[in-house]
Amino acid sequence: MLGFLRKPKKRICVIGLDGVPYSLLRVLAADGTMPAMAELCAQGHLQPMKVTLPEISAVSWTSFMTGAGPGTHGIFGFIDLKPGSKETRFPSFRDVQVPTLWDRLGQKSKKSVVINQPSTYPARPIQGVLVSGFVALDLRKAVFPARLLPDLKRLNYETDIDTQRAREDHDYLIQSLHSTLEGQRSLVDLLWDREEWDYFQVVTTGTDRVQHYLWNAIADTTHPYHTVVRQYYRAVDRFIAEIVERYRQKAGREQGLTGLFLLSDHGFTAIKREFNLNAWLRQEGYQRLEQATEPTLQNLSPDSRAFALDPSRIYFNRKDRFRDGCVETAEVGNLTEEMSSQLLALRNEGEPVVREVFRCADIYSGPCVPHGPDLIVLTYSGYDTKGNLVKNDLFTETDLQGMHTWDDAFFWAGESVDGDLMITDLATRFERFLS
Amino acid sequence: MMTQGFTLWFTGLSGSGKTTLSREMEGVLLERGMKVELLDGDVVRTNLSKGLGFSKGDRDTNILRIGFVCNLLTRNDVVAIAAAISPYEEIRQKNRQLIGRYVEVYCKCPLDILEERDVKGLYKKARLGEIKNFTGVSDPYEEPSNPEVIVETDKETVEQCVAKITRTLELLGYIPVIGNGAEYSAEEEEEIKRRLKALGYI
Ligand SMILES: Nc1ncnc2c1ncn2[C@@H]1O[C@H](COP(=O)(O)OP(=O)(O)OP(=O)(O)O)[C@@H](O)[C@H]1O
Ligand SMILES: [Mg+2]
Repeated sequence: MLGFLRKPKKRICVIGLDGVPYSLLRVLAADGTMPAMAELCAQGHLQPMKVTLPEISAVSWTSFMTGAGPGTHGIFGFIDLKPGSKETRFPSFRDVQVPTLWDRLGQKSKKSVVINQPSTYPARPIQGVLVSGFVALDLRKAVFPARLLPDLKRLNYETDIDTQRAREDHDYLIQSLHSTLEGQRSLVDLLWDREEWDYFQVVTTGTDRVQHYLWNAIADTTHPYHTVVRQYYRAVDRFIAEIVERYRQKAGREQGLTGLFLLSDHGFTAIKREFNLNAWLRQEGYQRLEQATEPTLQNLSPDSRAFALDPSRIYFNRKDRFRDGCVETAEVGNLTEEMSSQLLALRNEGEPVVREVFRCADIYSGPCVPHGPDLIVLTYSGYDTKGNLVKNDLFTETDLQGMHTWDDAFFWAGESVDGDLMITDLATRFERFLS
Repeated sequence: MMTQGFTLWFTGLSGSGKTTLSREMEGVLLERGMKVELLDGDVVRTNLSKGLGFSKGDRDTNILRIGFVCNLLTRNDVVAIAAAISPYEEIRQKNRQLIGRYVEVYCKCPLDILEERDVKGLYKKARLGEIKNFTGVSDPYEEPSNPEVIVETDKETVEQCVAKITRTLELLGYIPVIGNGAEYSAEEEEEIKRRLKALGYI
């Protein structure tokens, strides 16, 4: 009888909390720090999610937004090699080889508003609005369409905190966590009703920052920053609560919260030691730095058989890849086995360090596989693999407190998902929901 | 690099930007070292389709002829760019099937903006009844059901439309990606390094 009433259109709203682990979110929801999250847990399903390797934001978010792995989208880290060379470069959004979820929705005339999405700099046209997140440098290049620029300026919108200063000055860190969150909040406020959208997404990256610098403060009640860090998560919870309420009103009763989703792009845990992969390669005789030259990848001695790039990527110095390579294609199999068994046998103070060594040909698929590393090293919790070329100690201490994990990201949805959930599964789920 | 041909087909109402954007795209593709031919509806009607009118039948013939030529060019590794209103979905689909390597750009723009623009003064004449069968006013336009790109020329600048079409062609693998590594200035690279270092990378 009510057939003349048009069904409200289906809408998706996604909240991204960079780096927030499933395990932590459960604790914070249960202990009263994040009451809105607790309510969501009661109404829907919070579950752990795995992410693509290496488990860093540049790769994870790209996997999220393309629904594909690095072998297909082509992003393997914050830095990469120039083709055929050991010179490094910083991949940008232009290097992503496949369309994003919003590109695909746009082709179906669906509009997206995407705020602070990491790894989308420089912003490019989408059907809707895109405000790039980390490593957005120049706000003018971080915004599509450009008509939004005056709005962002008026809101004092900042794409990120000054990470260098935050690492040294934790008071600054806390204060800027709140100001960037406020910027995101007011941008949501501005765009929510003003823009036309089918898909709305906002990511907050402050959670990753605070966990890098003050992970220990979250659990340790005697930590001088314990209270302020907890207050920050409370603020994040209010941010979530506001959006959930907005969504409820916009989506209408029939849709309920079925189009609301929350996720993180990786998990986090405490760092015990940094594990310097290049130092290890040198110790085992796989790599030599030429004396008296600047320590760069180009200056490795020509008989070096391997090198590592952050965080956990090992490249063989292959003849079929590098002009000055020395590893024959036929040697790759043996080298892989030898290196893997040595890494797995490695001990620090009696503890094993490396949990698994993956051949990239096994874990990736797609046209970009040949441009990726040869091996990916997965460590046990607490050992943060690093590609630093200069450090000579295998294990070093750091003032950073948190490191990423790959199997403890989270996903919240109104309905539970059966089986193991992977970050690359989400884009198609969202697309299906809207079609 | 040997590049394969393809057809870039612009469809949309009169004044929606087909000629403007197709000329821009011609420049972009020439810069990337491709061979390009542009077939603009207005020009085609003075030669290839001379004598055809604006009935459904004549319109279909016109579009199928342009499609036929685009196909010849495409299979000889030329990029064929077509800019024609091409109002009927069925006929566009026929061309798509014939050509295969076919990328459709829908130049979308609301009618009131087009009447405001009225580049050629045709909308005014159509409203006064001086022109019959004018698409969008007194003749149908069927929106494309699966265009590779939609540009909203009332909301996006010419530059943004061109960037969007170019990017789509890159992503679809029709044109080589350029600018590898040159995305950031030296200063910007330093800033990225500084931020990444502070997070424990590099
Ligand atoms: N983003 C845009 N893209 C293309 N044209 C634009 C855009 N914004 C404004 N314009 C203007 O709109 C007009 C488009 O006219 P154009 O001749 O390109 O249309 P057309 O689609 O070829 O029309 P016709 O079918 O009558 O040949 C031009 O005056 C152009 O400057
Ligand atoms: Mg024209």
